[in-house]
Amino acid sequence: MDTNDQYGGHHRTPARVPLGRTPARAPLGRTPRRARLVAAAGAAALALSAGLATPLSPAPSQAHAADDDGKKVLTVAVAQSVDSLSPFLAVRLLSTSIHRLTYEYLTNYDPEDNSVVPGFANKWESSPDKLTWTYTIRSDSKWSDGEQATAEDAAWTFNTMMTDPGAATANGSFVSNFEKVTAPSPTQLVIELKKPQATMTALDVPIVPKHVWEKVDDYSKFNNDKDFPVVGNGPFVLTDYKPDSYVRLKANKDFWRGAPKFDELVFRYYKDQDAAVSALRKGEVSFVAGSPSLTPAQAASLKGEKNIHVNDAPGRRFYALATNPGARARNGETMGDGHPSLLDQRVRNALFKAVDREAVIDKVFQGHAVEGAGYIPPRFSPYFWKPSPGQELTYDPDEAGRMLDRAGLKKNADGRRIGKDGKPITYRVLCHATDPNDKAIGQYLQEWWGELGIGVTLNCLDNVTDPWLAGEYDLAFDGWSVNPDPDFVLSIHTCAALPATPEETGATDNFICDKTYDELYARQLAEYDPDKRAAIVKRMESRLYDLGYMNVMAYPNAVEAYRTDQIESITTMPAKAGNIYGQDGYWSWWSAAPADSGDSSGGSSSTGVVVGIVAGVVVLAGAGAFFTLRRRATADERE
Amino acid sequence: MTADAASAPVGKTGAAGPAAAPHGPGARTATAYLRYVAGKLAGAAVSLLAVLVTSFFLFRLIPGDPVKFMTGGRQVSAEQFAHYRAQFGLDLPMWQQFTDYCGKALTGDLGTSYQFNAPVIDKITEALPNTLLLTGTAFVIYTLLGIFLGTRSAWRHGRLGDRLNTGLALTLYSVPSFWLGLLLIVTLSVGIGPLPGLFPTGGMESGGEEGFAYVVDVAHHLVLPVVTLVAVEYGQTLLVTRSALMDEMGSDYLTTARAKGLRDDLVRRRHAVPNALLPTVTLIFINLGRTVAGVILVETVFSWPGLGGLFYQALSVPDLPLVQGLFLVFAAAVIVMNTLADLIYPLLDPRVGR
Amino acid sequence: MTSENGTTKAQTALAVPSRSLAWRRRRDSAARFWRQYRAHRAGLSGLAALLLFALLALTAPLLVGSDVDNVTDAPGGPLEDPSARFPFGTDRFGRNLLGLVIWGARVSLLVGLLAAVLSVAIGTLIGVTAGHFKGWYATVMMRITDWFLVMPTLVLAIALATVMPRSLLTIVVAIGVTTWPTTARLVRAQTLAVETRPYIERARALGGGHWHIMSRHVLPNVMPLVLAQTTLIISTAILAEATLAFLGLGDPTVVSWGALLQDAREAGAVSSGHWWYLVPPGVAIAVVALAFTLCGRAVEQVLNPRLGVSR
Repeated sequence: MDTNDQYGGHHRTPARVPLGRTPARAPLGRTPRRARLVAAAGAAALALSAGLATPLSPAPSQAHAADDDGKKVLTVAVAQSVDSLSPFLAVRLLSTSIHRLTYEYLTNYDPEDNSVVPGFANKWESSPDKLTWTYTIRSDSKWSDGEQATAEDAAWTFNTMMTDPGAATANGSFVSNFEKVTAPSPTQLVIELKKPQATMTALDVPIVPKHVWEKVDDYSKFNNDKDFPVVGNGPFVLTDYKPDSYVRLKANKDFWRGAPKFDELVFRYYKDQDAAVSALRKGEVSFVAGSPSLTPAQAASLKGEKNIHVNDAPGRRFYALATNPGARARNGETMGDGHPSLLDQRVRNALFKAVDREAVIDKVFQGHAVEGAGYIPPRFSPYFWKPSPGQELTYDPDEAGRMLDRAGLKKNADGRRIGKDGKPITYRVLCHATDPNDKAIGQYLQEWWGELGIGVTLNCLDNVTDPWLAGEYDLAFDGWSVNPDPDFVLSIHTCAALPATPEETGATDNFICDKTYDELYARQLAEYDPDKRAAIVKRMESRLYDLGYMNVMAYPNAVEAYRTDQIESITTMPAKAGNIYGQDGYWSWWSAAPADSGDSSGGSSSTGVVVGIVAGVVVLAGAGAFFTLRRRATADERE
Repeated sequence: MTADAASAPVGKTGAAGPAAAPHGPGARTATAYLRYVAGKLAGAAVSLLAVLVTSFFLFRLIPGDPVKFMTGGRQVSAEQFAHYRAQFGLDLPMWQQFTDYCGKALTGDLGTSYQFNAPVIDKITEALPNTLLLTGTAFVIYTLLGIFLGTRSAWRHGRLGDRLNTGLALTLYSVPSFWLGLLLIVTLSVGIGPLPGLFPTGGMESGGEEGFAYVVDVAHHLVLPVVTLVAVEYGQTLLVTRSALMDEMGSDYLTTARAKGLRDDLVRRRHAVPNALLPTVTLIFINLGRTVAGVILVETVFSWPGLGGLFYQALSVPDLPLVQGLFLVFAAAVIVMNTLADLIYPLLDPRVGR
Repeated sequence: MTSENGTTKAQTALAVPSRSLAWRRRRDSAARFWRQYRAHRAGLSGLAALLLFALLALTAPLLVGSDVDNVTDAPGGPLEDPSARFPFGTDRFGRNLLGLVIWGARVSLLVGLLAAVLSVAIGTLIGVTAGHFKGWYATVMMRITDWFLVMPTLVLAIALATVMPRSLLTIVVAIGVTTWPTTARLVRAQTLAVETRPYIERARALGGGHWHIMSRHVLPNVMPLVLAQTTLIISTAILAEATLAFLGLGDPTVVSWGALLQDAREAGAVSSGHWWYLVPPGVAIAVVALAFTLCGRAVEQVLNPRLGVSR
């Protein structure tokens, strides 16, 4: 058999097999009649399951806002697999979002303005030397198994992360600067630091119940996905999980901030974004975020739909074209093979001047993004910076060409620009194969820079980590989600973030190492006045802009959609024009209020009836056709 | 070798099929059959071993350092790298890694998935039942449908019904399964025009159903992926059954039977069909093994939580241990089924003495 | 051997080594082949469809202009509905979809053709040599073939495409390297059959070397088989190209039918109801794959009437 012809999951060419010759016992269906019946039965069973399932099972077509017994269920479509349900191991967005919902963190962020608000800790204060932090732990938080949640749990969580490398996998960086963590009383947590740390009110570490977790023997192997419900103290309790099928959470009625308004929260898997969008349209799910967001076509088609609201919110991401600055390690050794011509700032700026950001917004994002300027998106208004008119690298391909001429990259007879090595220049652009925007803009780059006489090879990979970390690229599509406090996204461009040696990995994003930038970074870190700090941050952005290593093309919007007949209201973050999925905090799902369920179930049960009737007609027609054919067949055989 | 050559019309008689089955006079006795079985089993074992070797070395070709993939760009010091390398046995020389891998694989230990931090074998056993449910259902339906339609077609070959039948089978056979799946989603799931969506858009269950409702729910999710698989797969069974049967219908013994005055349809049912099904049986087994590996696309399009989706996910990381494990499973499915086909064929073929 | 036809007889008659005679016999047999092929209606319609697509692919630069895949000067807005100007609507860049489908025929057919040629070339080489040189060489070669035969092809091709850089060549190699074993088995069987014939004995006795026998006697005899096999494998290869491109393993800047489908899917055409973005490339793939299958089957039946439909 041509086992090898199985593209598309099926044989391409009809196979032929050696033929048996003499009468033998038939292995399948002694008579054709029986075979026929079996086939009919199979077909009928399939048709029936199709016909029956719709009217009988309320789940697929009926609104998930209300279940049979009046339970209010909020269903969210997701695509990302859970890497682990252990807070010590999970790093993916979905998993950490689930931890946000099921465990408390010391502090939380205000959905209004991203400022720090109480979480597991009521209050906090630091010693004058900023080396000792004392948190007051609330006494009205109970674990879902009835035990009181105390400062001891928090101390145990941090201590475990500090002593067991297996428990430090996900969030180890938060505690690497901790000297000692103690719980002098059930409501008091004391953290002593080795040196001052700016992120002490932003310790995004889930606090786990000591009495449950101390029984675990190997934190690097324990995934917390066997015993349900999982003991927690967040607004929801994790009650069930089936890999790549669903994650189910139940409202925690005793949650100190108040019980969530939905009784259940279900994350359901749709690996395909189109499937998720159709599921939303049919009411199978209440909310779709898309990964990272809905496509323009999907958003446009959903906008016209009744009972669906498209939330097109300014995003927290920047989307940039990074340029390899000649990757090197802290010890001075160079790495990778970035194109030498890119070391010239004029060349980098010229390239960006030939990038039509307006076309990127209009054609690729189709309006669901804001044109790029500074490093930090406008959503974080205190830090948002725009180049001055004289500084701005406006779209001007002709000027870009002249700049390249001035930089000594002359065109040859074929119109190709020649590098210092005498060879025509072709840049390798690293792109994420999973991101349609990368590939689309890559095609534009090919044509824009082609006009300049520069070749572009798109190197699209599922996982760009390896060439990226090795510095084996010329340019790359880059993007980060920015936190309310920009420290992290600023730190990844400092010299200190470079890998110590070429064999190691640093925190650096793109191997940028610039003295001026580093000095500014140190100054903002030490600045406690918010306005002054913002001013320094803006100067850093200006410096980054001029350097031309990080060319921000756009700030993509978060485009998500939900059913208004299932969700009455939901908190976005920031409250005004913010996103719903992937917030810093549990606000969206905790605050979501169910819509009046009478409405939606009425609508869907009538759909159910229609569906049932249609399915019934199909089955009847099929059966009729089958019997007609069969009668004719018998007649044929008799002739 | 004569069997091979004779049955090697331009037809796709491959070697993996029963072409190599012992039709010769030597296979008449039980000992001969046992010897034949031993040979086939040894062959299968060699193939499995070869697959084991491939799965290890092929994916080592993916450029890059697995530890860097694993740590996903986080800051990692040289000591930590060394620690991870040691933890995953990557610091050992290649040959030692290989022998470790083989040794463990033989005991059912396929290593630990990088991205899920769980034993590969657990991830596989988690997804395997889902894949088997999908492929099993589709397999039963397309096999029966193929045999049924193939028989009908052969009965009345050359007529309009036959031509429509074969034409449709060949056409569906040429359709990319993922495209057909997408079209089914657009029309039957999303709903087009006044037609409401009848079926779920993807996944295997709504979650939260129990008992009978759960069965119905899963069946409901199963319809579209199964229809897709059946549509693209049944044609092959149809064509093989049809050509085998037509071949059979020209045989001498049938003419004799007819001459003896036996009724035509009786002759067909009693003699022709059972015989013609022989080659189909072989095909059935081979299909079963092959379909398991072939569902990657359908599972991707319908978000079915099976092995195919897992493989694709594992490749994009790349999660080497998981990729290797899945590759092994896919290949083993084909090998085992091919071997079963080889073993069963002589038992069904009456020329092998009874 | 039922699959023998005029070609073989022409070879047998080579005892009279007349070049022109042989040439005429070959022409005769080709004419006979065509007469028999003509009787297969399905094969003829397949051939007609193929010629049409080949013509479209060759004249595409004239028909739709070679800048049809240009994104910066796309004539329309993104995802426009079908209209008089854009009969199939526009794609996500605003390019003319009809033009892209025609342009895509070039890549899809080229990749299909190259991959099939590569696959059949490997298969024929291994098949002929393994059939000719017996002993350990044949054993080793056939073991390798068997081993490739049990590999899950799609899985192997995906793996190969992942391992290699994304380009058309990668796709060609991934398909070619994974689909050859069937051909090898068939060609070897045919070679074994051919080599038992008396005139090979004669040629050997007259001092014909391995190369002479393989290239002058064996190869012409396996050519019909190879031809049919190529036709059938092209169909496989075109689908494989579409599959790999659809899974995102192709070169994203090249327009092929599979890549168009992937674009459509990534743009969210399925759920937003832009069915016209999806239908034309898929239909094109199906029609061409079907056409090649029909031709292949017709060729098969001409060469081996025992399997004929008409019996």
